[in-house]
Amino acid sequence: MGKILESLPLTIVAGVILTVVMIFGADAIQNSQMTAPEAPASEAMNSM
Amino acid sequence: MEAELYLIRLLHVISGIMWIGILWYFNFVQIPSMPKIPDEQKPAIGKVIAPEALFWFRWGAFFTVFFGLALAWRSGYLMDAMMLNEALIGIGMWLGLIMAFNVWFVIWPAQKIALGIVEADAALKPTMARRAMLFSRTNTMLSIPMLASMISVQNPVM
Repeated sequence: MGKILESLPLTIVAGVILTVVMIFGADAIQNSQMTAPEAPASEAMNSM
Repeated sequence: MEAELYLIRLLHVISGIMWIGILWYFNFVQIPSMPKIPDEQKPAIGKVIAPEALFWFRWGAFFTVFFGLALAWRSGYLMDAMMLNEALIGIGMWLGLIMAFNVWFVIWPAQKIALGIVEADAALKPTMARRAMLFSRTNTMLSIPMLASMISVQNPVM
């Protein structure tokens, strides 16, 4: 980790990778919090 | 209510630009430039510019968090975000809190020793300078997902 942080370009690359992980992670958390009856309704709303 | 939220959001953004702008100044400009500066000119950075920048840096961090929490509270999603029921903005808020903690409780105390603002053993200075640099870099890395999360409130990604 120290080696990555000593390099500014690698720090930026790590930040971009973290961003992608965060976006998909947050989506997974959000989906996992939906109860079964809510999920289809939410999916239907997304498709509207 | 709309005007109040607008004002809080404006103050949050202004403070955030102050904070992250100076964070990026440290990491993109000052740290890489230090080896190129002649020794006799280094005190201009260490004794004048860096302490002044650190003042606006740490108070920018404080007020960004203060107005950010106020905005989330007045908008009614503070608890949902903190508990990750609103996951994306919640993760961004936690990243911002971790970064602000780093500023006030790691970077600033280390810089006070490294820059000679407080009395300390001279042998400690290089260690503290490195600690401040690594945590500043950590915040630079975290600032990218944190900002991505912040704009997701008004511009949903998925």
